[in-house]
Amino acid sequence: MDIKKLADSLNPVERKVVKVLDNFNSFNDIIKVTGLKDVEVMRALQWLQNKNIINIKEGHKEIVNLDENGFAYLKRGLPERRFLEALGKPASIPELSKKAGLSNDEITVSLGALKSKAAIEIKKGKEIIVSITDQGKYLLNNGFPEEHFLKEMFPKEMNSLNAEEKFVLDNLRKRKKIVKVELSRIINAEFTETGKRLLKEKIDDELIERITTSSLKTSAWKGKKFRRFDVKINVPQIFAGRKQHYRSFLDEVRLKFIALGFKEMNGPIVETDFWDMDALFMPQFHSARDIHQGYYIKEPKYAKDLPEEKVKHIKAAHENGYNTGSKGWRYDFDIKRTHRHILRTHDTSISARTLASRELKIPGKYFQISRCFRYDIVDATHLPDFNQVGGFVIEDGINFGHLKSLLRMFAEEFAETDEIRIKPSYFPFTEPSAELQAKHPEFGWIELAGSGIFRPELVKPLVGKEVPVIAWGIGLDRLAMFKLGINDIRQLFSHDLEFLRNVKVI
Amino acid sequence: MPTITFSLKDLQHLLGRKLTIEDIQELAHYGKGDLESYDKEIDEVKINFGDTNLPYLWSVEGFARLIKGVLGLQKGIPEIKMQKGLYQVIVDKSVLKERPFIACFAAKGHEIGDYLLKQIVQLQEKFCEGYGRRRQKVSIGLYSYKRVSFPIHYKAAEPSSIEFIPLDFKAKMNLKEILSDHPKGKEYAWILDGFDKYPVLIDEKNEVLSFIPIINSNFTGKLEAGDEDLFFEATGTDEDAVNLAANIFAYALYDRGFQIYSVEVKYPDKKIVVPNLVEESITIRNDQIKQLFGLELEGDEVKALVENAQFNFNMSVNRSAISEHPQKPKVFDDYKVQIPSYRADILHPRDIIEDIGIMYGYDKIGELPLTTFTIGSALKLNEFIDKVRDVMVGLGYQEIVSHILTDKVFLYKKMNIEDFGTIEIEDYMSETYSAVRSWILPNLLEVFSRNKHVTFPQRIFEEGLVNIRKGENIIEFSRIAIATSHENSNYTEIRQVLDFIMKCFKLSYNIEEAEHGSFIEGRCARATVKGKKVAYFGEINPVVLENWGLEMPVAALELNLTELFELMEKR
Repeated sequence: MDIKKLADSLNPVERKVVKVLDNFNSFNDIIKVTGLKDVEVMRALQWLQNKNIINIKEGHKEIVNLDENGFAYLKRGLPERRFLEALGKPASIPELSKKAGLSNDEITVSLGALKSKAAIEIKKGKEIIVSITDQGKYLLNNGFPEEHFLKEMFPKEMNSLNAEEKFVLDNLRKRKKIVKVELSRIINAEFTETGKRLLKEKIDDELIERITTSSLKTSAWKGKKFRRFDVKINVPQIFAGRKQHYRSFLDEVRLKFIALGFKEMNGPIVETDFWDMDALFMPQFHSARDIHQGYYIKEPKYAKDLPEEKVKHIKAAHENGYNTGSKGWRYDFDIKRTHRHILRTHDTSISARTLASRELKIPGKYFQISRCFRYDIVDATHLPDFNQVGGFVIEDGINFGHLKSLLRMFAEEFAETDEIRIKPSYFPFTEPSAELQAKHPEFGWIELAGSGIFRPELVKPLVGKEVPVIAWGIGLDRLAMFKLGINDIRQLFSHDLEFLRNVKVI
Repeated sequence: MPTITFSLKDLQHLLGRKLTIEDIQELAHYGKGDLESYDKEIDEVKINFGDTNLPYLWSVEGFARLIKGVLGLQKGIPEIKMQKGLYQVIVDKSVLKERPFIACFAAKGHEIGDYLLKQIVQLQEKFCEGYGRRRQKVSIGLYSYKRVSFPIHYKAAEPSSIEFIPLDFKAKMNLKEILSDHPKGKEYAWILDGFDKYPVLIDEKNEVLSFIPIINSNFTGKLEAGDEDLFFEATGTDEDAVNLAANIFAYALYDRGFQIYSVEVKYPDKKIVVPNLVEESITIRNDQIKQLFGLELEGDEVKALVENAQFNFNMSVNRSAISEHPQKPKVFDDYKVQIPSYRADILHPRDIIEDIGIMYGYDKIGELPLTTFTIGSALKLNEFIDKVRDVMVGLGYQEIVSHILTDKVFLYKKMNIEDFGTIEIEDYMSETYSAVRSWILPNLLEVFSRNKHVTFPQRIFEEGLVNIRKGENIIEFSRIAIATSHENSNYTEIRQVLDFIMKCFKLSYNIEEAEHGSFIEGRCARATVKGKKVAYFGEINPVVLENWGLEMPVAALELNLTELFELMEKR
């Protein structure tokens, strides 16, 4: 950035700091001179360093300060002074102690200090007798170097002490809690080459920080410059409202079906054996219908709103094929059981309802996206409830060839490929049945759809006549996972806000 | 969907052809199967067969038979020669009520090695567990022929009156003890629930063959590698299924090189000979092939395909005329198709025609575009729901999707309210998924509880289905729950959201004070439209926040979209 632009980009705090920095380069001084808060100065220095205007130098220094005894002696005098003052005439230690009001420790310290300064004489006889010397009297009148030191301004930088003071300090540090020496962080800033050049620029105080309603009204901005922003700088993240990733994917699928001419249908999640299985010609004794495959409802156990006429026809289809030309499954159909409530195990129950509905239009194309439930252990590949996408096409004269072109269309629409394989498959309610595999350009071969033509044993009783119905179900969860870049199916229903806020939009 | 395991070498041997694993993978599709794996080291192929009504494929012999048809190595119904056996099974009237049917045969003259034994047991288990409904409908027993003395008696016995050494056990046990102590007894005792007497097979020397359908005897009912002759029986509650079991086994063993000997079953009122290898017939019409697959085939083409699928084919003498246009009657050929006795899946001519299509090749069938114009449309309710979701996103709310299955503690206890009508699951696998949700707000509080460390404000919503039980009725609604959580979230904020939604849809509504355990008293309201309660909202009760371990205030709203939509429609 050229220097001119750099000068225009300084914010008001930076400007204040830069202006004083030529004369005052320590953090504390800047605070004093500018009157800014320490966090403001710190931030400004940081910004200036980011702009390569200054270098921040951090170091440590030793600070000398008085400790608790230091403050006390400053008021009451050092013990050695009190010792000497009590020594009008030679005296024994206990007498002195009493007279001067000194503790044993203080006596010991005083004796040592005064002796080293030749301020006292000690005579050892029956008992120890101490007397003051001339040097002692001189010190008493003119003060001890330690006393002078204590009266200095504290805190004091260690570096500012002269040799004599340092000697005194060393003596005092040997004594209990008179002085303390602490390490303190120091921050200094100095201009870089860029900074020095910047100083030569005129730093404009008249830069506009932001537009205000009044500045607009008064045209106060005219003829002035705006402070320049560093447009490359990172700004704080925001979280806007978003649709859930998996649901968005399903929304898109739904739109696609509508665009392809399919009509959306629906049905309840609490189903009956009738719509979920019996109406689809799955025999009541079939192994796929064991109680452990589906979730039966505790209460109410049985539905009261089944279309009993249709139930009768389906019963006949199971028992003897109704009038479809089928032998049927040849067993006694259990009417009570067909009313049993179950959470729908697959979306084909909705197709069965639509086929039996008066609203059914022939020709017609129908689809649904619906939540289904299977009895399973929940893990990275199984969910307690999951979405299925399926539907049917009903029209006189359509056949397996139409089914194939429909599957190709699904492959093109959902897996972006026309490379497909269609192979024989099995579903209890379709004959013939076919599975669609599609080679997605990125993800390779995937099983995309199951399909077939509904059996006459269910079409005739439900619709009331024989008409070809192509049925299909698309497995989109794996495709969704590929597209969302996730490998645990549970993430389709994630409750992790961090994940939900940041997952890719598809 | 059973998965069967076999050796590729064995399959090649049965076919007399050196097919590769790639060939097998392709050929499996003709049986609606998928190659799952092939371990070359141990020569082990695994194929999953999709059709639960084609149990003959659950053995390598059956699969080999299918391949022979596909490749044209064998046409029409495969041959089976049955010798007349001089064996008799006498059925006592005591079994007629509970488990009346039995089919059996003797298979002789082929050595049973370890591998073959495994194959036989595999077919037995897959058949009994799947098609036989865990032995309840059909169970199968295999016995060492040389240890059995005919005639055999099939009867029901007092639980304590009979004892024998069960398979792989050392001590004698009576029937009652077997049910309570033997692992197989415990596993299958449910089948005999409520029976006074239990079905058994006993031979002429009073030697027990089997306690049906639980366990064989260790003496007669143990096939050993090196045996050459065996006795087969299937019993059950469904005559067709019992016969099918015997036929499938007879074919499999015949294909292996055994000779099959029939057995006379003497019921109190009749005598029959089993296996009953009856081949039923069904008539198909040429135009049905066209209707289903769009294929126009000549009679001999149909014949070839039908025979590839291993049915017998007879060109019918009759031609049926379909007289939609009386002046120009269209004439179609009728074909009589005979079905092998090991298949019970042919209910309708459609089932034969599917096999014709498969044999023709799905990839050779031409694609036909769907040309009829239809108008696509969304459900009106869903359109409304999507608009509400759009409004919520506009308000800065993150959408959530949760599972519909949950539990009552989650729905009520943690929310400080009473159960207001729950759809519970009778036989749930885990407590966590034992009820259908009756409202959605608990899901949102759960989201907050999992995201305490994530940047605030947290504003979330979820639209979805709830189910409520009202006596004998189940009501399904679409509802939306909305919740906001941050230092200053409060009644005003959530009320503003409600006001905004209502305004967006030009709905007039009333606000009244409400009492609800999940909300703070005096800061909870209900919205009504035309007197109908459509929403609860307010500040969440700290008791509830504590239950969820939340450390930030929450204001929330739950709105019934189904009812709101219906009210709008009536407008």
